[in-house]
Amino acid sequence: MPNKLITLKDAVSKFTRDGMKYASGAALPVGSDSIAFGREMVRQGRKNIHYFAHCNNQQANLFCALGVCDKIDGGFSGLEVYGFANGFRRAVEAGKVIYEDYTNLSMPLRFLGAALGWPFVPTITNIGTDIQDRSSFIPDEFPCKSKIPEIKDPFTGQICGVLPVAKPELASIHVTMADVQGNAIIIGTEWSRYELARAAEKVIIQADFIVDTDCMRQYPNLVRIPDLLVEAVIPWQLGAWPQCSVGIYDSDEEHMFMMNKMLGSDEGALDYKARYIDSWETHEEYLAVIGKEKIEKIMTNPTTHLIDPYRKWIKTNEQIEALMAQSRFAKPESVVCGR
Amino acid sequence: MEFTRQEMMAIATGREIRDGDLCIFGVGLSMLAGYFALAYHAPSAISMTEGGVYGSMPVGGLPWGIEDNRISANATCFTNAIDALGFMCSSGRVDLGIIGAAQVDKFGNVNTTGFWTDPTNPHFGPPKTRLNGSGGANDIGSGCKRVVIMMAHDAKRFAEKVDYITTPGYLDGGDAREKYGFKGGGPVAIVTTLGILRPDPVTKEFMLDSYYSFSSIEEIKAATAWDLKISPEVRITPEPTEGELEALRSVDVTGMLKKK
Repeated sequence: MPNKLITLKDAVSKFTRDGMKYASGAALPVGSDSIAFGREMVRQGRKNIHYFAHCNNQQANLFCALGVCDKIDGGFSGLEVYGFANGFRRAVEAGKVIYEDYTNLSMPLRFLGAALGWPFVPTITNIGTDIQDRSSFIPDEFPCKSKIPEIKDPFTGQICGVLPVAKPELASIHVTMADVQGNAIIIGTEWSRYELARAAEKVIIQADFIVDTDCMRQYPNLVRIPDLLVEAVIPWQLGAWPQCSVGIYDSDEEHMFMMNKMLGSDEGALDYKARYIDSWETHEEYLAVIGKEKIEKIMTNPTTHLIDPYRKWIKTNEQIEALMAQSRFAKPESVVCGR
Repeated sequence: MEFTRQEMMAIATGREIRDGDLCIFGVGLSMLAGYFALAYHAPSAISMTEGGVYGSMPVGGLPWGIEDNRISANATCFTNAIDALGFMCSSGRVDLGIIGAAQVDKFGNVNTTGFWTDPTNPHFGPPKTRLNGSGGANDIGSGCKRVVIMMAHDAKRFAEKVDYITTPGYLDGGDAREKYGFKGGGPVAIVTTLGILRPDPVTKEFMLDSYYSFSSIEEIKAATAWDLKISPEVRITPEPTEGELEALRSVDVTGMLKKK
C-alpha cells in the first residue's frame, strides 16, 4: 500500500514551478481551499503562475498582492460577504494580473471537459453576454469570437457556445480527511473538486485529518477523490484557515477582514507575509500563529456533528509522525509534520 | 412596526417566492430575502445555493458565504457546482433565482463585473473599478424560470446601458433571448430600496410597477438614468406586516438589514 504523505515544504518544492498552470480547490471564497499550500508557494517565491481559480479567495488574494501569479481564469472574484478582495482588485486594476472572466458553472464545465479528454464543452450559459464578447487575454478582439465561440447544434441548428477546456498542470486540493494513499472524503460542498481532481495532470491533497483506510472501506461511496489520482498527501490541520472547513472549523472573521485590509497595500502585503507566512516552520508553529484561543473559537461551531461518524479513524499527531517516516517521500533530514 | 428600506426591499423580494418553488439564492442580502420567505409564507419552497448546499436554513445569522458553516449545519444534501448551477439551474429546473446587482439597464441586464473609463472602447483594458464578476449569477440569469434582481436604487446603478453585461436580462429587449436558447424566462422583477420594476410583456423594458409608502414616483424617476415608464396600474407596495418583519428578523439574526 503506497504511503504518499509529504511535508508541505517538500510538496511545494517538488511539484510546483514558476510559470506553471496551477489550480486550487475547493477555491470558494470562504470555503475550504488549500490556503496553506498557497502560503508555502508564496514563501518559496513562485512567480508567473497562471492560476485557475474557480472562485477567487484568500489564496488568489495573496498571490495577486505578492506577485505570485500574472494570469487568472475565474468565475467569481470577491470574498462573498467579506467584501471585495483588495489584493486581487489592486493587481487587476493596475493591469499587473490579467483576469479572464468565466462563471461558476463554466469553470467546472471547463474542468469536466479536460477530465473527459474532450476538445471543448458546449454551453447554454455565458453566451449573449460580455463574458462571451470580452476577453482580457485577447483584448483587441471585440466582440470576441475566440473565447467562447458560437456553434450550431448539428442536430437542431440551435446556437450554443463552446468553452475551452481547462487542464492545469497541478491542482492542490483541500479535503476534510484522507488516508495515506490519497483517498479523500470531503464534508460540505465539494464545489468543483471532483472534476478538478480529474482535470489536472497532477493532484496534491492537503488534508485536515489523516484517517485509517478502514474509514474509506466503511464509506467508499463518499470517497470522491480516489488514491489513483493523487501524487501526494499533506497532513495539515487547519489548512484552509482563515477560511472554513465544514465540520471542523469556522472562518476566522477577524483574520479574514484583517488579511484583506493588509493585502490592500504593498506595504501591508509584505507585512502580512512576514507575520503570517515567513514566521513559522513547523505545523506546531503554524498553529501558534493562529493562536490557541482563536483555534478553540473557530472549532466551536454548528457543524461539528458532521465529523462524528469518522472520529474513530482519525490519526493522532504521533501516529502521523510515525507514518510520515514510512512514506515514499520520507527523507532522513526532513522535519516531521513541518514544512 | 418600524422598518428600514433594506427590510422593505428584502420582504418585497421574498414575496416573489411561491410556496413549493425550487429557489436558488445568491450570496449576501438576497439570501436573507429568500430564507425569510421560507420562514414565513413558503414553508414548502426548497432552497439551494450554487455551492450545492440543499435544504438548509442558516443558523446564527447571515452566512459569510454560500458554503460556510452557518448554512451547512442542517443541510439535507451537499453536492457541487455542476449539480447546482448545471443540472438544476441552467437546465431550467429551478423556479426562482435571486441575484444582486451593481448596475442594471432598462432591459434587466446586470453588471457585477466592473466599471471602465470608456466602456465602449473596443480595446478591453483593465477596469477602473473591478467588482466581483459573475459567480453563478450568469448561469442563474440564463437558466431560472423566474429571476428577481434585488439592489439599491440610484441613478448610477440604474443606467441606460451597463458597462458590461455579466448576467443576461432581456439583452436588447423584445425576444432577443430566444436566439440563445436559454432555458430560463428572464427577470420578472427588479426589487429596489425604492420600489418594484417589472418588464413590459412585449418590449421587455422595465417599468415602475409599485413604490413604497416612504418613496414616490418622482424620487424613483430621479434615481433612474433612463426615461422610466410608469405602469398604468402603478400602486403602493403593501408595507411589511408584523408577521413578515418578525420572520425576517428571525433569519437576519446579525441585523444586516437593520442598517439604515
